[in-house]
Amino acid sequence: MLIKLNGVEKQIDVDSDTPLLWVIRDEVGLKGTKFGCGKGLCGACTVHLNGVAIRSCITPVSAIEGQSISTIESLTSEDGTLHPLQKSWISHNVPQCGYCQSGQLMSATALLSMNPNPNDDDIDLAMSGNICRCGTYPRIKAAIKDAAKNLNNKNAQAMGHLAYEIKV
Amino acid sequence: MNNEMSKLNSGLQLKTSRRRLLQVSMTAAGGFSLGVMLPGCSTFRANSIDDKGSWSANAWLEITPDNRIIFTLDRVEMGQGTYTGLSTLLAEELDVEPHNIDVVFAGAQTSYRNPDYGLQLTGGSNSLSSSWPQIREAGASAREMLITAAADALQVPKDYLRTENAHVIHAGSNKRLTYGSLAKLASKQNPPSEPTLKSPTDYRYIGKQNKRLDSQQKVTGTAVYGIDVEIDGMRYAVVSRAPWLGARLKSHNGAEVEVIAGVEKVVEIETGIAVVASSYWKARKAQDKLKVEWERDEDAPLDSAEISELYHKQAHADDSDSKRSEGDVDRAFEKAKKVLEFEFDAPFLAHATMEPMNCTAHVQDGKAEIWTGTQAPDIAQVAVAKVTNVSLSDITIHNQFIGGGFGRRLTQDFVAEAAEISYKAGGVIKLVWSREEDTQHDVYRPAALHKLRAAIDDQGLPIAWDHHIIAPEIMDWYVWDASPAMFPWAPKFMYAAFGHVGLLTAGLTPATPADTSAIEGAEDLPYSIPAIEVRHTKADAGVPISYWRSVGHSHNAFAVECFIDELAYEAGRDAFEFRRDYLKSSPRLLNVLEQAATKGSWGREMEAGVHQGIAVHKSFNSYAAQLVEIKIEGNDIQVLKVVCAIDCGLVVNPDIVKMQMESGIIFGISAALYGEITFKDGQVQQSNFHDYPVLRMNQSPEIETVIIPSEASPTGVGEPGVPPIAPAIANALFQATGERHRRLPLKLT
Repeated sequence: MLIKLNGVEKQIDVDSDTPLLWVIRDEVGLKGTKFGCGKGLCGACTVHLNGVAIRSCITPVSAIEGQSISTIESLTSEDGTLHPLQKSWISHNVPQCGYCQSGQLMSATALLSMNPNPNDDDIDLAMSGNICRCGTYPRIKAAIKDAAKNLNNKNAQAMGHLAYEIKV
Repeated sequence: MNNEMSKLNSGLQLKTSRRRLLQVSMTAAGGFSLGVMLPGCSTFRANSIDDKGSWSANAWLEITPDNRIIFTLDRVEMGQGTYTGLSTLLAEELDVEPHNIDVVFAGAQTSYRNPDYGLQLTGGSNSLSSSWPQIREAGASAREMLITAAADALQVPKDYLRTENAHVIHAGSNKRLTYGSLAKLASKQNPPSEPTLKSPTDYRYIGKQNKRLDSQQKVTGTAVYGIDVEIDGMRYAVVSRAPWLGARLKSHNGAEVEVIAGVEKVVEIETGIAVVASSYWKARKAQDKLKVEWERDEDAPLDSAEISELYHKQAHADDSDSKRSEGDVDRAFEKAKKVLEFEFDAPFLAHATMEPMNCTAHVQDGKAEIWTGTQAPDIAQVAVAKVTNVSLSDITIHNQFIGGGFGRRLTQDFVAEAAEISYKAGGVIKLVWSREEDTQHDVYRPAALHKLRAAIDDQGLPIAWDHHIIAPEIMDWYVWDASPAMFPWAPKFMYAAFGHVGLLTAGLTPATPADTSAIEGAEDLPYSIPAIEVRHTKADAGVPISYWRSVGHSHNAFAVECFIDELAYEAGRDAFEFRRDYLKSSPRLLNVLEQAATKGSWGREMEAGVHQGIAVHKSFNSYAAQLVEIKIEGNDIQVLKVVCAIDCGLVVNPDIVKMQMESGIIFGISAALYGEITFKDGQVQQSNFHDYPVLRMNQSPEIETVIIPSEASPTGVGEPGVPPIAPAIANALFQATGERHRRLPLKLT
């Protein structure tokens, strides 16, 4: 089976019902994407499918064959430059244990790519599928707003809706 | 973790002083003998240099010839900030920029025992306070040796030298020598017996460093947690455990499962039956095909109502142990104009760390290697030794970043399972628990029943307080694995004996103080009521329990601070002013209370539907007050805002203190509003975040934290933010509804 991960095509040999999460972590070996609940309830496993945030723990790899998947590792450019959200996360001292933060960042980058100037409600809506047991929510919210201010607005063509919505 | 964890030292260790550890050890005859452990021989690793010229100045610090400063962190990083906080202590005294320090995680070694417990534990919010002397001394000692070495090399008096960012500088000749270039010479110096510590006025980093040092790794997905460990030839394991408390494996179709493609082994272990496969998913799918019969334990608890009944029965049957008795309580109740008497209930709670339990193990040829995130590496060694043929000294623990601890990773059941699977199935295996397994096979925060009575005089004021706590003692469960870790030289057949000795002597010898996990935060009631009685009845339903962020304080603060609020109301007084009047003898508590009330504008004119509540509590030697504002929508309790005042002594990293208050508050709100593990027909009813919900961003309040400036020794921050939040919310709920809610979680129906 062929998957396209962070712009690189990979041939993998797994059962077709294997969740994308385990393919990313154990077949490809990218460990930044985390396992939290296995039921799409916590968001630790969030990755982008064609730019949209999805839960990789409940996405069978067969469902994404040939489509473009991006993980937390793709946010840092090859020369080591961090994504504006990653920088904002650092300056706001967001991470504590840090385990959920890959997922938080993938949800936040998906949000900003569709809505460059989210208000509190937009942020709540996009981020409430991501659990953080250390309680970093107030800092995540501040970091997203701060990053939004600094981000280039040229990709700001609003899609008119949030591409995903997690009912809590 | 309660501060009295030192009781673990079943023997183990008397109260430590900074310079000398008095140790009690068991003699062959079974008695106790006193020994003296001097820092020179045990706390500090011998000053040494390896063949590459890398200098180990002491147990914590290594300096390489190319000027890498390597710090061995012996208190685990699970979010609470030791990685940054303890590095900052070293940085300050060694004179190195904190971000130039490379941090590595300590393996199990007696040098790294937590001086407060005599075990290598991270818990009890004491990492900063217990490391405060030793890590600064480790840095100061090395710095003095480097200066002496530079004075020799440059042939100048030491007084002409200063240090800055890993260099010794001679201003006169403008020479700058790196620490690395001095490593070899420094290793030849004698470590100073009493290194001189900086005066607080000279601090460059302590109190000023605000950035965390582990953020970069954590925002790029490169921080390695236990679950991320990858070892050549590694296979994956999952375990089917008994769905009923106390049930044992009876029979299974493991042989049929073993032939499924990808499955390598099915092995019976103490806790159930393990499937080992070439991938996690294959192991999980094969596990679905496993048919297991269990033999149930007839004595195991069946359901929550029964457990509650047991607590009530115990409360009646037992006249309880008095934990504090002041004034004439009986007489006060006799002459009381009125008696207020209520029950408060707190449920079992799961830890629900984001990173589910996991462990990678390789047990082979009498040796074991363990890769995991554990809060207690030496107790992990004991767990491995118990299920394998390996001796403690041959068990290596590779500790990792921890995706949430909250006390869960003090218990080493997941380490034991992984070791036993590797031992029986052979090879390297990575065991990963599912969220459901993590929720249903946790060691829970114990449920507690509180019976509170107050005698009220004709002025409406309290003249006596009687608090009866009915709850289990955590040490009854924890002592079995923990106590052998105190005696790494002991043969395994003695392990059980240590547990028995620890429990039998608890409270009888200075070395084995009583377990205060059930009563902490209640026995030290700070309010000046003329007569006070605090009592405990042990009630243990057989549900596995352990330490949960803030331990006994988590339910005691709820009962105490809610009941005080009721007494204020009974007296016709304002809840804040009443507390203030009765806290006159506790100035630090009084101060945080006043700060929270002032910053949070207690009693301000409220928007329609918004209500305030307040609570104050001392835990882990820190003082915290919280003022909340809540709003009710339908049956939904929304916490809009929390203002927190914290006095934790001298602050090393102000923003981490704030982070920990935010963290404790949000963790505490999850428990206050949703947290509840219940049992039905002997099974845990909750399984994942849909039925064990925790706070999400849309439910999270705005939080403001005020830090009280202090020069007192640093005290805890990981846990003290948790206890006041539940009672503060419950008290606001009374303002909102006119009804008292005395059962956690708080629910409107």
